[in-house]
Amino acid sequence: MLAGVGSLILGLALATALYAAVAALLSLRRNDPRWAESARNGILSVAALLGLAFLLLLAAFLTDRFEIRYVAEHSSRALPFYLKASAVWGGQEGSLLLWSFLQALFAALALTPSPAASGGFPLPLSRRAGEGEGGRGVGVRALAALLLNLITAFFTGVTLFLSNPFAPAATVPADGLGLNPLLRHPGMIFHPPALYLGYVGLAVPFAFAMAALIAGEVENWTRAVRRWTLAAWLFLGLGLLLGARWAYDVLGWGGYWGWDPVENAGLMPWLTATALLHGAAMQEERRGFRIWNLLLISFSFALVLFGTFTTRSGMIQSVHAFARSNLGPYFLTAIGLTLVGSLALILRRRRLLEERRPSESLLSREGLFTLAILLFLVITGSVLVGSVLPTLTEALTGRRFEATPEWFDRVTAPQFAALTLVLALCPVAGRQKLEARRAVPGLVGGAAVAGLAALSGFTRPLSLLGFALVGMALGTALTEIARDVLARSRREGENPLVALAVLVDRNRRRYGGYIVHLGIALLLVGVIGTRMYPLERNLSLTAGEPAQVGRYTLVFEELRQDLFSDRLATWAVLSVYRGDAYWVTLTPRLERYANFDQTVTTPALRAGLREDLYVVLTGWSADGATATFKVFVNPLASFLWLGGLVFLAGGAVAFWPSTAGVRLPVPQARRRAIGNTVALVTGLVVLVAAGVAMWGPGHGATSQPSGRPLPGQVAPDFTLTLLDGSPFSLSDQRGKVVALNFWASWCPPCEEEAPDLQAVWEEYGEKGVTFVGIAYKDEEAAVRDFLSGHGITYPVGLDPTGQVAELYGITGVPETFILDGEGRVVRFYIGPVTADQLRADLAGLGVR
Amino acid sequence: MAGKGKFIFAGLLILAAVVYLIVTNTGSTAHYFLTIEELRAMGDRAIGRNLTVSGAVLGDSIVYDPTIPRVTFTIVQVPADPKEVERAGGLAAVLHAAVNDPDAPRLEVVYNNVKPDLLKHESQAIIRGHLGEDGRFYADEVLLKCPTRYQEAVPEQAGGQ
Repeated sequence: MLAGVGSLILGLALATALYAAVAALLSLRRNDPRWAESARNGILSVAALLGLAFLLLLAAFLTDRFEIRYVAEHSSRALPFYLKASAVWGGQEGSLLLWSFLQALFAALALTPSPAASGGFPLPLSRRAGEGEGGRGVGVRALAALLLNLITAFFTGVTLFLSNPFAPAATVPADGLGLNPLLRHPGMIFHPPALYLGYVGLAVPFAFAMAALIAGEVENWTRAVRRWTLAAWLFLGLGLLLGARWAYDVLGWGGYWGWDPVENAGLMPWLTATALLHGAAMQEERRGFRIWNLLLISFSFALVLFGTFTTRSGMIQSVHAFARSNLGPYFLTAIGLTLVGSLALILRRRRLLEERRPSESLLSREGLFTLAILLFLVITGSVLVGSVLPTLTEALTGRRFEATPEWFDRVTAPQFAALTLVLALCPVAGRQKLEARRAVPGLVGGAAVAGLAALSGFTRPLSLLGFALVGMALGTALTEIARDVLARSRREGENPLVALAVLVDRNRRRYGGYIVHLGIALLLVGVIGTRMYPLERNLSLTAGEPAQVGRYTLVFEELRQDLFSDRLATWAVLSVYRGDAYWVTLTPRLERYANFDQTVTTPALRAGLREDLYVVLTGWSADGATATFKVFVNPLASFLWLGGLVFLAGGAVAFWPSTAGVRLPVPQARRRAIGNTVALVTGLVVLVAAGVAMWGPGHGATSQPSGRPLPGQVAPDFTLTLLDGSPFSLSDQRGKVVALNFWASWCPPCEEEAPDLQAVWEEYGEKGVTFVGIAYKDEEAAVRDFLSGHGITYPVGLDPTGQVAELYGITGVPETFILDGEGRVVRFYIGPVTADQLRADLAGLGVR
Repeated sequence: MAGKGKFIFAGLLILAAVVYLIVTNTGSTAHYFLTIEELRAMGDRAIGRNLTVSGAVLGDSIVYDPTIPRVTFTIVQVPADPKEVERAGGLAAVLHAAVNDPDAPRLEVVYNNVKPDLLKHESQAIIRGHLGEDGRFYADEVLLKCPTRYQEAVPEQAGGQ
């Protein structure tokens, strides 16, 4: 029933989208506003129908309707509410439905508002509404409606006929399979929709560009869809960042970007869209770039389709890919149509696109923009070549070669470096040529950042070159901003901060661009650090045995386990020392999902400005005494996420409509001001929340008041009263070997080790070895009972408040510290100790 | 015209540089992608080269020593050509057929690293590394995908360098 209704709605949506396309065409052909009105209604209906289908699927997930196969395969009764909701796009069918819905929604948003309310979209849909603006705009809007509806119809058709989320299950299971455990992460809830919003958003500028080209109106389309391009680009960027962060937090391989074909599929349209934003800025300044921009939007949209093709065709080797492969040919056809169609159109209109311009210097603003676009294109081309390298080399040489992450790093790094150089030069380029004097701040910035990096120990020449380039970009951008701010502040007598705020408010795109560039520069610092100075170790640790990784000392304490209904969680407790001092306690986890025959590792992460310490629990011995870990030290990783946040903030600034130069009636202006304030506050809250999520508590890192003294360190002094009434002070024991045993009368392992301790005491007590039992937060009566019950004769004192225990950073009982004659720790045992271990230690210290 | 020429020249220069980067790196860091059959056919010439081999994992062969850590396992020949896979009824069917075919070429893999989560019977392994003199394949990186039960193979980058 539900399945039938869902499919019916999809069918209606498909028919309506096709109808709206025809209506848009007829409105153009017959020049009849009634057809335009009908197309408009059709577009709204498609969005509503697909929205309804999406809600229906959501409801099916929330109410556990396992008669629908897709629900049965991706959800289960035990899933919490928010995961059931996000499971809707956890598989191919649902994600395609979401895609279709968003496509229809964007078409409706872009096409249906009346021209008065549309602000950024001055192209009217019907002639009646837009009579004042000249006839051609009408054609553009109707043609865009035609194209967008065809795109929506394509995705809806694919969803309905090839990948229907409403397909009924052959048999109705009692419970669903559940969501793949790796996808049960907040990052996964937002990452796919963000990417889809980006992909779908690019269809709008593409449709308008092609419509403009057909109508012969080649100049204004970039301005008309500027905010759509910007929003799509921003969402793609957000999606990529979320995906990278999810990989870092969840996948436990220490990295954030593996040059997987599916990751590349998201990166490529982002790169071409970035180039388009630059080209569009030039075109809007009436400086040409018409052909560039049309090419760039066509490539961007074709790459969006290529991305879907990659993930869903199964024809490209990828670990991300959806396995079924019946969609491939359809998407290949769509890619071919997009490329051939748009290139043919550009060729046909080449007369219109020709621009006679005075020749410019390569190092002028236009020249550098051209270089930047070229670089974006060759980088995209390189990534594309790498993604299809096996197929490509097989066609060319008959042998299949596969591009490794190293291949991508080596091929793209020089190109990204060149792009950074262009970025550094751009702000100082004059209209005609480079002004040498203005390049000084860039050189200073480059020297400063490279110098700082070298002083911090990042001394490899290639990385220093990278840091210098980033420094140049930072230096010129910051100087340009400072120059403008100071000039305004002097001219208007404003406080520099006020001047900055006013400048940002009045030149959103320019300052948004500066902020984005700053973010990218910071991000590059992170990329250079993590890619060029990675440190990775596999460790096999026995409880209590310290190990050195970089400047950290790791002490594995113990394993703990917890059994949940669907999984067994195991986590290791590791105390970490930086240099000699206790720093943090890390608890990497490993969860085994019985239902999925799958383990999920949750790394423990302690982020710092200089580097991140990232520990993954990978296995353990049967008795739990030994555990294996993968330890990564990721230098400058925080800059990645910091840069990402700055980048997003800059994008948001550029996106937010400027109020400068617009005179609004008072009530409207007031509403606008309130809206701006709300947006600003929301933006800040989101940034702070993201910051807390990434650098705040959690991530398996906790802090104890203090850590244990490490082997080689002097044990902290303490004084307590022994049970026989005599005082005991550690500092009085110099010259003697000391065994400190923290224990409690209620603890079974303490009982287990007591006879061993007593035996060794009897052997060595007379040979200058001191044994002291420290009863941790215990009752005197219970302690006395325990001692007489087990025949313990070595001295024991009470630590009723746990003061001494805290001094020694113990995390449980029993723990034993062996100190040499100078009071230095030789070894400690976490958990019970055996007589043989003690004898070996004492022999090692020369006690016979 | 001089102005335009400059840009075309710069563009060609960039393009040439990128083509050079791609070609040289394909020679040096790209991996030769082979099926087990093709690897066998190469004989000793395969030893020591950067190779990528794919195959179906034989569940019973997985031996893991977490203390080193090292995992060894055997993979079985599967065709690399997507069309051939499709004709044979999809990846899951191909993997299933491979592990049940005693005559299919096999390859023993040594991976000095932690056992990846997805390493299990009938999963598809894509392995980067080199062939040792002893005929075993020493993996630097193991990528896995298991098409059974779940349509989407989850993203998993096992291992690093």
